[in-house]
Amino acid sequence: MPVIIVSSDSYGTGREIAESTAKFLGYEFIGREILAKTADKYGVSEARLTQALDEGPSFLRRSSKIRNRHLAYIQEVTLFELLKDNTVCQGLGAHLYVLGVSHVLRVRILSDPDKRINQLVRQQGVSISKAKKILDREKALQRRWSMNVFNLDETDPSHYDLVVSLSQIDSNEAVKIIKETVSYPRFKPMTYSMNCMEDLALSSRARAVLWEHFPDAKVQADRGTVVIETADFKWEKEKKAKAIKDMVRKIPGVEYVEVHVAGHLFPRGSLRPSRRAS
Amino acid sequence: MAIITVSRGSYSKGKEVAEKVAERLGYQCLSRDVILEASGLYHIPEIKLVKAIHDAPSVLERIRGGKRGYIAYYKSALAGLVQKDNIVYHGLAGHLLLKGVPHVIKVRIIADLEDRVRNEMRQEGISEQAARSMILKDDQERRKWTMSLYGADPWDSSLYDLVIHIQRFTVSNAVDFVCRTAGMDQFRTTRESQQKMDDLALASRVKAALIGLNADVDVISEYGNVLVFAGTDDRLARKIRGKIGSLISDIDGINNIEVHAGAPSE
Repeated sequence: MPVIIVSSDSYGTGREIAESTAKFLGYEFIGREILAKTADKYGVSEARLTQALDEGPSFLRRSSKIRNRHLAYIQEVTLFELLKDNTVCQGLGAHLYVLGVSHVLRVRILSDPDKRINQLVRQQGVSISKAKKILDREKALQRRWSMNVFNLDETDPSHYDLVVSLSQIDSNEAVKIIKETVSYPRFKPMTYSMNCMEDLALSSRARAVLWEHFPDAKVQADRGTVVIETADFKWEKEKKAKAIKDMVRKIPGVEYVEVHVAGHLFPRGSLRPSRRAS
Repeated sequence: MAIITVSRGSYSKGKEVAEKVAERLGYQCLSRDVILEASGLYHIPEIKLVKAIHDAPSVLERIRGGKRGYIAYYKSALAGLVQKDNIVYHGLAGHLLLKGVPHVIKVRIIADLEDRVRNEMRQEGISEQAARSMILKDDQERRKWTMSLYGADPWDSSLYDLVIHIQRFTVSNAVDFVCRTAGMDQFRTTRESQQKMDDLALASRVKAALIGLNADVDVISEYGNVLVFAGTDDRLARKIRGKIGSLISDIDGINNIEVHAGAPSE
């Protein structure tokens, strides 16, 4: 059964639509509640996990490494939750890392700007023009966040199957549109698309395990085979490959580990999984 | 009972979707008709109008406002044609030209670049590189055009009610989405929304009539009461006041008309 990922320019609006959709379809809702579970599993603070999802890059990028580590943990827990099917996911950035899985419907909901401006005016006592500026800044920050972490512009409509604006379409209608869309046969899971999702989950688990010692490792998984690319000095290559293999082999579901250590320094680790068509 | 504007890039199947929506709803489908209408109404050669509205203005044209006139003629023709309602329009910037009318549904159909490149290669019999470059150039031109005239990026989803990525849907699915949206109460034509449409059409006609004065004016209308704003130029306001009577004599529906210096408040 399908997975629905809801992204929005406003966390509150996205959550409202995602929860209503889950209720309407009888699906499980996966939201920021799983951050508590993530925090327990990896021994980090829940507040820092939330911060990693909300805050843009710092000016000096000093905190990027910590944020990326937290995001790798969130990614791992989210992807394993999404293996369950019949789920609606929101608020965890999944639209940026669940790519190329055919039974995943990705929807972007745009909140009504007038409604949000009025809300800001009422709640913060600011003028309309100030409220507009706040919203513009928020939008720019969200865009920067997605570009910085996943190298994808989350405001680009081509990353979604459908974009619905709530300027005139009301929330109930938006939920009905999502329900209708997800019923198309195209969004039914197939063996291949399920395999793709399992591969994404496994690679994210390997990445999370490696993050503390090898944050620059690039990980890909394909039916139990995990391929890791990294770099180091020539004389350290063997030692590093062995350490990585030892760590990854212990992960349930991993059958074979392949490590490629390039003989140069400073490769860039990526949170973005490689895209596979399904 | 609505007006549907379908914005599309090349090879995005937007034309097909628009035509099928019109067929299913029994609406009239417009695209090139607007150029013919504008060309006939304002006596401009069709080819000149097509070039003016397709290519982004050059730096010189931006300074001189060279394309302003053509756009005003086009908008006037478009507003006049869609005024009668039950229309599907797929063509130039409908979502921007008909902004502010509640029963206008703004739809954008997008497709994957790689698919578009493949279609262009097949259609034109050209290499992948040439096809890609043509599509990107065309997109860039559209972007520049909209940015220079309206300060809006056509790729910005917030300009539309619905953006459909055709890659994962069939044309029939996209038609379902649009028709479903057209059936929503909030897009139903009401007396108030029709009045807004009539006012937009009237203001567009007045603006097009004033193009001959080489004046960049803002025109708004409320219930047939037309306000012309001549910007900061008092002399221009006086000039318009002197000549406006003869220029708008053949426009029906004007209750009252006033010319002011300044700009309309938002």
